[in-house]
Amino acid sequence: MGKIALKDIYLPETATAVAIRQLTPTEKCFEFKLDSGKSLGHMPGQFAEISLFGIGEAPISISSPPHGEPTFEMGIRQVGSLTGALHRLSVGDKIGVRGPYGTTFPVTTAMKGKDILFVCAGIGMIPLRSAIKYVLSHRKEYGKIHILSGTRTPAFRLFSDELEQWGKVDGVRLLETVDQPDDGWKGNVGVITTLFSKISFDPKNTVALIVGPPVMYKFALLELRKLEMSYANVYVSLERKMKCGVGKCGHCQINGLYACQDGPVFRYSDIAETREAI
Amino acid sequence: MLKVLDTAELGTWVEAIIKAHDVIGIQARADKFDFGPLAKVQDLRLDYDVSLNAPKRFFLLPDEKLFTFKKDEAKSAQAAEPFVLFGVHPYDLIALRQLDKLFEMDNPDVHYLSRRAKAIVVAVDVQKPSAHVFAGCLGFEHVEDSYDILLTKIGNEYLADAATAAGEKLIALGKGFTKADDTHLAARKKIWDENKQALRRHELKPNKAQITAQLEKSYDHKIWKEKARLCFSCGSCNLVCPTCYCFDVADRLNWDLASGERVRTWDGCMLEDFATVAGPHNFRNQREARYRHRYYRKGKYVPDKIGEFSCVGCGRCIGACVTHIANPVEVYNAIMEA
Amino acid sequence: MDRPRVAIFDFACCEGCQLQLYNLEEGLLDVLGLIEPVEWREAISDQSDSYDIAVIEGSITRKEDEERLKDIRKRAKVMIALGACATIGGVNKLKNQFDFGEVRRTVYGKDAEAPHLDTARVKAVHEVVPVEVKIHGCPIDHFEFGTILKSVLAGKTPSIPNYPVCVECKKKGNICRYEYNEVCLGPITRAGCGAKCPTGGFWCFGCRGLLDNPNVDAAKEVMDIYGKTVDDLSGRLLLFNNQS
Repeated sequence: MGKIALKDIYLPETATAVAIRQLTPTEKCFEFKLDSGKSLGHMPGQFAEISLFGIGEAPISISSPPHGEPTFEMGIRQVGSLTGALHRLSVGDKIGVRGPYGTTFPVTTAMKGKDILFVCAGIGMIPLRSAIKYVLSHRKEYGKIHILSGTRTPAFRLFSDELEQWGKVDGVRLLETVDQPDDGWKGNVGVITTLFSKISFDPKNTVALIVGPPVMYKFALLELRKLEMSYANVYVSLERKMKCGVGKCGHCQINGLYACQDGPVFRYSDIAETREAI
Repeated sequence: MLKVLDTAELGTWVEAIIKAHDVIGIQARADKFDFGPLAKVQDLRLDYDVSLNAPKRFFLLPDEKLFTFKKDEAKSAQAAEPFVLFGVHPYDLIALRQLDKLFEMDNPDVHYLSRRAKAIVVAVDVQKPSAHVFAGCLGFEHVEDSYDILLTKIGNEYLADAATAAGEKLIALGKGFTKADDTHLAARKKIWDENKQALRRHELKPNKAQITAQLEKSYDHKIWKEKARLCFSCGSCNLVCPTCYCFDVADRLNWDLASGERVRTWDGCMLEDFATVAGPHNFRNQREARYRHRYYRKGKYVPDKIGEFSCVGCGRCIGACVTHIANPVEVYNAIMEA
Repeated sequence: MDRPRVAIFDFACCEGCQLQLYNLEEGLLDVLGLIEPVEWREAISDQSDSYDIAVIEGSITRKEDEERLKDIRKRAKVMIALGACATIGGVNKLKNQFDFGEVRRTVYGKDAEAPHLDTARVKAVHEVVPVEVKIHGCPIDHFEFGTILKSVLAGKTPSIPNYPVCVECKKKGNICRYEYNEVCLGPITRAGCGAKCPTGGFWCFGCRGLLDNPNVDAAKEVMDIYGKTVDDLSGRLLLFNNQS
């Protein structure tokens, strides 16, 4: 064995929490700033490994679009030890960051010039927000935009203040639904696939990005197939257990693919035959 | 550089190596053999059949510190010490060669690679086949690269083939080495050919390429369910495998609750929670799905990634599985029958 | 942060798991720097009415013990079951195999009918009240106790393995006990002990209890490979893992 790599791929750099806001009863949005002063350099769809020393590390989607600044945002649901501890952070607290890792939504390639359909189910809004904000800030490079958003209840609507702003942008149609309405809810009720019948789009000229919980994909893909959408124009982001984020530890394998390197964003036609994918 | 050493002189040479280096050598352990720190030359057993534990554990440690932290500061823990690994069989060296590729590619892993870079590997051709070895069926009974020195016992002599400067320096520590000639090479070739037949305690019918191709269409084969019925999901087959390298990562705190270390530990795809995310949701919930994954990984996924069949035929999994379901030969023969 | 108030209670057991805490030696001083013990019969004489963490040692064998445990539960924010008696009922569960009248006569002879010697089905702590953390083992491993306590204090869910002892045994590089035709419970027993018994040359007794999803059928089915019977396995399981 000859050369020795010098960089330790497992060693995080540090970042500081600069803003924290509650999004829903279970989700907070964190703005972190890399202490190096450099930009994270991500593109929509990518993730980073976030550490709290002593608690652990986990892969977390980046919710903000790239903007060249040393800050980035992450919407984080409180589900385990690490995310629980992240929810206890205050502004000024430090975290460890490795990344960005993984594939991106094709905002600069396949999506260019196309109509875009965003299907955001529950927590799926978190990675998709990066792509939505990217697309809206490069509005002229894309056609018509549909944003479908579904949550369990109105209280769990993520980035609800921004949703309303997005819906007002020229050429953007926003449709929301909830599984269980509350007294104040005037909108749609039902799972996210019930929104497909309420929109019309040209399947030949549309690229769809779908992100949500594992159970949702099968149904959403079936609906898109009914609407004659080619799976070559559908992109999904798949969650898996990950430890290293760099293609070594083996946890995130989807058959022969690595969710951390070949994904998390997959063109669905590439994995339609991959048995462990959906 | 090819040299020859009379077997009677081997002890003096190894003694000189032990004086100059830390040596991990193959030796007897109860009624088996295993690698361990070699204190004296008499303990070295180059006539061993198979080592209880694969040599991967000296490079990818079962439990390894990645970095230490103190509050918000982290410091990489890279403390590789040079050592000589003495007595590695060809199939195990091929396994290391595969791990080298996997840890080097895309994102080089400094922890594994620095240990490998500092180790001098003395390989030895198999003198006695183990009960379950089938490396001969895979062409992994001999190896022609990746060693610093390859020793082959030919009659009353050892042919020593030093392939690197480090290997040559090691040979320079010995006295009594003489020049080898073509007859030695021919004799080694004969031993390789013999070992190709001898290292076949289980007869694998298909070749490597046929297995990889057949796995394309074997996802729903009945063998997975049949075998997995008796699977403990204990991970023994993973952990003894010389090419399995999956790992878990966790933090350990000191009593100040502010400092500690991040460690990685061996993991295995057969373990129930290997693919479980918070929620919880287990992406490989069934024993048979986990069982199948292992054979796909050895026969297809890793080969697709590095271009080499990832079961080296050492047979350790066959011996380690308490319920006798982990024989890759049985599995790969079965899928060929479709 | 104020040190959390910790109380330790013993029920039916040998109190060996508490003794393991003293085996932390200097580590015990670290523990005391992080917690405030408010009730600990073996170590201090104080008693208290409320605690952040209640540590329960022993199994629950009498009606009045159930009431006492429920009362402790009301006062505690977090409840930790300490050791096999508390986490799985332990060796005490052997009693459940027998007629309780016979058990009392065997143990207490002519005093067997005395009211304070009443006995009931042995239960693990979680069979009576909810338990947040289980520290397995007979006895517990004091290093694991430390790791779990540090996790709880750092606000992290303690990681209790759901993989079998074989994992730790293989990491140690041991020779499998089945190589010597011994019935070892390692393949179905929850790890976390560091495979102490197999490393010491003994089969696993199963003191940490079964995995979440143990393949006991497989264990039974392969007994004849090793010249053993299902009864041999069941006998081994009786000590720590009888499900009565």
